[in-house]
Amino acid sequence: MNASAVSVAAAVREGRIQAIDGVRQALQRIAATDKQVNAFTSVLADRALKRAAWVDAHPRRARMRLAGVPFAVKNLFDVAGLPTLAGSKIEREAAPAARDAVLVRRLESEGAVLVGALNMDEYAYGFSTENTHYGPTRNPHDPARISGGSSGGSAAAVAAGQVPLTLGSDTNGSIRVPASLCGTFGLKPTFGRLPRTGSYPFVASLDHLGPFARGAADLALAYDLMQGPDRDDPACAQRDIEPVSPLLERGAAGLRVAVLGGWFRTMALAEALAAVDAVAQALGTTRLVELPEAARARAAAFLITCAEGGALHLHDLRRRAHDFDPMTRDRFLANALVPAAWVVQAQRVRHWFARHVAQVFQTVDVLIAPATPCTAPTIGTEWLEINGQRLPARASMGLLTQPISCIGLPVATVPLWGMNPAAPQLPIGVQLIAAPWREDHCLRVAAALEAAGLCSAPVAALGSGA
Amino acid sequence: MDHSAYIEAAAATLGLTLTQEQRKGVTLYFGLAASMAALLQGLPLTPADESGNVFVPVPPQGQE
Repeated sequence: MNASAVSVAAAVREGRIQAIDGVRQALQRIAATDKQVNAFTSVLADRALKRAAWVDAHPRRARMRLAGVPFAVKNLFDVAGLPTLAGSKIEREAAPAARDAVLVRRLESEGAVLVGALNMDEYAYGFSTENTHYGPTRNPHDPARISGGSSGGSAAAVAAGQVPLTLGSDTNGSIRVPASLCGTFGLKPTFGRLPRTGSYPFVASLDHLGPFARGAADLALAYDLMQGPDRDDPACAQRDIEPVSPLLERGAAGLRVAVLGGWFRTMALAEALAAVDAVAQALGTTRLVELPEAARARAAAFLITCAEGGALHLHDLRRRAHDFDPMTRDRFLANALVPAAWVVQAQRVRHWFARHVAQVFQTVDVLIAPATPCTAPTIGTEWLEINGQRLPARASMGLLTQPISCIGLPVATVPLWGMNPAAPQLPIGVQLIAAPWREDHCLRVAAALEAAGLCSAPVAALGSGA
Repeated sequence: MDHSAYIEAAAATLGLTLTQEQRKGVTLYFGLAASMAALLQGLPLTPADESGNVFVPVPPQGQE
């Protein structure tokens, strides 16, 4: 389905289409393409058709801002009646969720219709969605390549035209990396902006939730409708809703934009630099700024992840380590052993970095950096060469996202095409990074780049799914 | 640096049993974490540089 969430909702509100027809269309597209993509781990046809009929009959339908919009969520979101898998085999034994996650409820209250749950790296620990239990999610623009992760199913479902809107999570880059590799728009809001209640945690100090879509207006609309505090997530800020959708038409006018240098250029391949340079040129900036100690910020995020992720799963690591995905098991075991002094130092460096980056934002509104060092590698790739170093390919996908999520900055990721001459069919994403709580800045720039025709998220040309 | 003695002691303390197959990966990934820790130790901090992990007190419902 090629239509945007905004246009589907308008058509349903105005009675030009029925919600149930749009949902049927999404279910048909999923059936026709998911053998190739493997984005979905559950398709909820009965639930979705009932909900669509509810929307069609609802007296408030003409005012529902997401009326009849099919959407899907990473399978770490609670869905009533399903065990929350979080990409694992172990959680298949968990009790079914009693109710939907808060963000699912907020979207559905505005008329959106949940159609399924999406594949991911086990317990969100990875950047490739090469999940051993459920199979790899394949990149819709080249099924031999990874979709990125850990929200690989969320990006692939949007890129494949299965649904116009999905939700994912981002601890170290898990929205921005798959958005980059699958060529979708993605938003990682400020840490603490959206409540995580009813989602399976990975690293409570770093976990964010956010949307994927094929345009900035859809991201902004979904984001606006998901805002608001929730007392059951202690990290969720008690802030009023600050709608962004009405501000998009302002574009990049008046915003001070700069390119991130240092770490964010040395750890990127040519196609990533070409994408950043194209965005900079479109925005008319030649200014280059550096964040102090970005490599150490990445190391801080790495160690906080180790400690909290390892501790969270200690009980199962003791009893049934053999049931973990081989892609994550030895890392979780090693992480459980990390000494406290390393983690405390990481948290102190995190705060140091946040204070110094805040100084940078006194003279700039939006920073530009690649979302990934390169376009999507083929499935099974073990090593990459970046900046003359031979690095593990999967971990390296997060090199440029980790320093940013370490300090919770909001980021819109936008897709560009044709930046890799060896694989011009592949997209690559650029991060538009703003100061905390300024999602409006990064989404305004995303909308401007989309309006200028530089960034787009076309549906992948997939076959009939034979 | 050889971390094998620490890995064995910490695993035993935490009640983790490492198989031979797992021990190779665990050693590799613990070494990677150690290299990250060494990088962090190289940043001079003062006692006033506080943790980025701040506790939020929880008031009784209705008394926020």
